Amino acid sequence: MQEPVGTKTTTSAVDPVLARLDPDRDRPADAMATEALSLSFGATRVLSDVTMRARQGTITALIGPTGSGKSTFLRTLNRMNDKVPGFAHVGDVTLYGESIWGPRQDLLTIRRRVGMLFQRPNPFPMSIRDNVVAGVRAHGIARGEQLDVVAETRLREVGLWDAVKDRLKESPYRLSGGQQQLLCLARALAVGPEVLLLDEPTSALDPLSTDAVERLLRTMTPALTLIVVTHNLGQARRLSDSTMFFFNGRLVEHGDTEQVFSEPREADTARYVNGLMG
Amino acid sequence: MASWIPVAGLAFVLIVLAVKAWPAVVVNGFGFIKGSQWLPGNTYGSVVHTHGVAHPSGSSYGAWPLIAGTLETSLIAVVIALPISLGTAFALTERMPGWLSRPLGFLVEILAGLPSVVIGLWGVLEVGPFLAHHVYPLVADHVPNVGPFRYFKGPVGYGEGLLTSGLILGLMIVPIIASTTRDLFLQVPALPKEGAEALGLTDAEVARRVTIPWVRSGIIGATVLGLGRALGETMAVAMISGSVLGKVSPTIYGTMTTIAATIVSQLDSAATDGTGFAIATLAEAGLILAAIALAVNLCARYIVSRSGRLAAPVGRG
Repeated sequence: MQEPVGTKTTTSAVDPVLARLDPDRDRPADAMATEALSLSFGATRVLSDVTMRARQGTITALIGPTGSGKSTFLRTLNRMNDKVPGFAHVGDVTLYGESIWGPRQDLLTIRRRVGMLFQRPNPFPMSIRDNVVAGVRAHGIARGEQLDVVAETRLREVGLWDAVKDRLKESPYRLSGGQQQLLCLARALAVGPEVLLLDEPTSALDPLSTDAVERLLRTMTPALTLIVVTHNLGQARRLSDSTMFFFNGRLVEHGDTEQVFSEPREADTARYVNGLMG
Repeated sequence: MASWIPVAGLAFVLIVLAVKAWPAVVVNGFGFIKGSQWLPGNTYGSVVHTHGVAHPSGSSYGAWPLIAGTLETSLIAVVIALPISLGTAFALTERMPGWLSRPLGFLVEILAGLPSVVIGLWGVLEVGPFLAHHVYPLVADHVPNVGPFRYFKGPVGYGEGLLTSGLILGLMIVPIIASTTRDLFLQVPALPKEGAEALGLTDAEVARRVTIPWVRSGIIGATVLGLGRALGETMAVAMISGSVLGKVSPTIYGTMTTIAATIVSQLDSAATDGTGFAIATLAEAGLILAAIALAVNLCARYIVSRSGRLAAPVGRG
């Protein structure tokens, strides 16, 4: 397993005194990691023996042909697969060093800390403003008039505020697909996640909206760690720091995005990134 | 063309009812809605004429207790049935594996087909006495004797009356609302529900914030369907209500009657009125019942059209 790539900005290299004052000094450098993770539904094994690390503040792209197990992998990271009948896992997933299945972990808290953006926009049947604060409300993070502040802050953050500020009480379903996806992003960001999982977040969007979402995602690190499943190789290359290539239920290669695309170590990776497969 | 047949049928029924009721409308006037007395008069005595309509001397009718009884029992029924139905639908669609939810769902639908006379019999012989002995006293003895709570104070009777009628009606409309709601829940797409789960909402919050609002207009429709059944339900209420004419029950336990129950229980004796005035009065009561049912439906349509503002677009998501 090669060293995952990330920003090497540890304060210890700069000043040892400063390093000791850093409140995050004991915080693991990896936001999310898996250890020999194997996943199966009933008798069907969909993913075998995946060990990976996603360093805090980086963007990791998950690429591979359909059915390679990358979406299942992603949905395991916030325990969305837990309730699927027959789902079983071997190995472990850790969030800042602690197992997400640990006895002291609360499922709802895991999901607050590990947010998710889906393939297609999925606004809730409530007003635009209520959509943004739905999670905030559920987790009791803010209430009353604070909710309006949260809504405005998050809508500004995703660049949607000017477009929707006059129709906050209206249905989200009249927004364009790209705007709906940005709304869902604002909703996911509002609960203050540490990791954001994105399952082909732009596959239903036009190029212009895709560009807007991508630019936005790039501004979110280093506070946030992103793990993105994408079929768009250009997107993986533009967006990510490191890339994981899944094939036939295995993690074939994981490395610096530039390396994976220009000098892949594995033959399958080379075929896939050069468009000869998938 | 065929779509006009139900409309024509409805118009025909209403017109016949109105024609039959007209003599009573003329004599009883507006007092019919406000009044509480139900006096057929001396059907073997002299016939008097009011506004040119013949009726027995001493006859005087007021339908307010019937109207109030109809609305009260139906309200209790819906208040009881709606949460139970939503809970049932939620359990069937979200909590149970298919091998369990399919037969149970089928059972719920079968319940909707139980004849009301059977339910009425069960209600009057078993449920009513049981509640009057073991449940109502607990409530009546422990609610504070202030303000609106006084409605829950007082003698609990023997199990025939308003509350028992409402509860049994509620039970009768649960299958209607629950089976419709279950079908609606199954239509809610997975993506928004998953989105809510991924945000860390509990199952109950997902149901309250996403699943139920997604099909809100359908749930309102199902509820109105059940309410319509409760408003018009005759036999079970005729058996359980206590069939007491002439006064509105002062407490929630008191005996009473409804429009539908009165029509069926008074039809025989009304036929002995040679002037036909008693029958006309029952027709007038029937007209009021039809008007209430129609008004409920119109209200529901209004609510549905309003709630459509934020509702999810059909076929999307």
